[in-house]
Amino acid sequence: MRALFLCYRGNPFCGGQGIYLYHLTRELAALGVEIDVIVGPPYPDPLEGWADVYKTENLNIWSIRTRHFGPDKLQRVLSPWNFVDYFLTRMHVFGEMETFSGRAFFKLRDLLRTRRYDIIHDVQCLGWGLVPMRGYGIPIVTTVHHPLTRDREADFTHDKSFWELMTTVLFYPLTMQRFVINRLDRVITSSTEGAEELGRAFGVRRDRISVVYNGMDVEMFRNDGSEREPDTLLFVGNTEDHKKGLIYLFEAMTLLPERITLTIVDEGPPVRTSAFNMIKRFGIEDRVRFTGKVSLDRLVNLYSSKAVLVMSSLYEGFGLPAAEAMACETPVVVTAVGSLPEVVAHNETGLIVPPENPRALADAIMMVLKDKKLQRSMGKKGRMRTVENFAWPVAAQNTLAVYEDVIRAYRRAS
Amino acid sequence: MPRAKIYGYLAIIVSLAAAFAFLYFGFYDTIIGRPIPSSASYYAIAIPIGVVTLAVLVTGFWIGWTILTIQVVKPMPEIVEKKDYAKAKAFLLCLATLALAALFAYGLYLQSFWALAVPAAVITLVILGMVFWVGIAIITTRNTLPADKNS
Repeated sequence: MRALFLCYRGNPFCGGQGIYLYHLTRELAALGVEIDVIVGPPYPDPLEGWADVYKTENLNIWSIRTRHFGPDKLQRVLSPWNFVDYFLTRMHVFGEMETFSGRAFFKLRDLLRTRRYDIIHDVQCLGWGLVPMRGYGIPIVTTVHHPLTRDREADFTHDKSFWELMTTVLFYPLTMQRFVINRLDRVITSSTEGAEELGRAFGVRRDRISVVYNGMDVEMFRNDGSEREPDTLLFVGNTEDHKKGLIYLFEAMTLLPERITLTIVDEGPPVRTSAFNMIKRFGIEDRVRFTGKVSLDRLVNLYSSKAVLVMSSLYEGFGLPAAEAMACETPVVVTAVGSLPEVVAHNETGLIVPPENPRALADAIMMVLKDKKLQRSMGKKGRMRTVENFAWPVAAQNTLAVYEDVIRAYRRAS
Repeated sequence: MPRAKIYGYLAIIVSLAAAFAFLYFGFYDTIIGRPIPSSASYYAIAIPIGVVTLAVLVTGFWIGWTILTIQVVKPMPEIVEKKDYAKAKAFLLCLATLALAALFAYGLYLQSFWALAVPAAVITLVILGMVFWVGIAIITTRNTLPADKNS
């Protein structure tokens, strides 16, 4: 089988799509699937070992003022696709998906002169270009971890002015995504809750959605043998993301004894200030520490040495930090939102509490912190659960099963 | 002169020339009494301009409508009271886009020259303005290190 992946941002160190592309293509290749990738910048340099990579251009000029482009980008902006991107970004539209899908459509036309594909796998782009791409006679599946409606809703909760609201509406290409997703052969999402959400947001029929749990590197994420520091909490994630519900975690901190500290794996001030402003308001500056960006080894060390990982989210597409912590034998306390109840087994690998409830969060944290035996038991079960359900080889096998099903159905219909 | 600067000057010259030509032939010539073309010619121009104009107006209306009908779960507790009258402005945006769309449709019905000329001018000048602005940015951006004053 030969599969073509489309990914508008491919670097594994720049976000979830790149990580997904890197690991899934590697494991699929190990299962015998021949992989080609059309990808936009930042590029996934290490893929060449198991895939043929075809790079498309993109200037990544979102939120950069024209005068700050630099000489190289300024020269390139006058080419047709780049000018479309320039036009859209100046209108506050995030045009990267539109232009990538258009470029990919023409790139694929060139590739099909010498190659044949059994399936096309779009990674969370859902650009207009996928619609005419169906004319090439190849089934197309897409992976959507969660619909952007959630992100837009989270932004709305923070927008203060008419201008902010207007630019938020313009930024998210929801009309395009709704139109395109309903014209593809199958949608892969990473949780049952995610499938329901796609139905609510985009009207995708449930029988056109396949649930394949996200993968993670269970070899990389394993307990490094560090001694557990008592009374320590860990939060891993983007502190500027309003969906993380950090305010509830900070409020829970005020309900916990002073000796309990929180480590946040993200940039703090002066780079990112939203979380720190809340921390100051709650008067817990002495108990919260930001690590800034950390290496993978350091992240594994943090997972292995802190007593509990906490996620106070209002929504999670998958909840990767919970799975990573479990793989490192760390108990977790998470909110019952999105796919977290599917990732975490309540009372087995961690505790699940209602969202927006600092008291419930604090009580659950205390329950785990004061019982070392419970911590060890949850840690062991967490490791077992991630290896059985969330390892990349498992995700690749399940994805391959979806491919085979889609190809069978496509050939039957045509 | 470096090639980049040449592109910059070209962008400025082309955008200015195109804008001048558009305004001169599209407006000045017509104002002094050139006859309006036949019905078929009119609609040959009116349809593409109409599609783009209506797309812009529908987008404006959709933005206003979305803001008017936002049902956010609950404002985040850290957000202070919103004082921007966003809903009132969204309502005005809906009203303005509807009024413009009606005016535009009426203009098309009358086969008015201005019904086509005004939106065409806005669209064309916005795009040419962007090319012009890129040209300005190219020629005013330093693409080499400043000369060492000591050498």
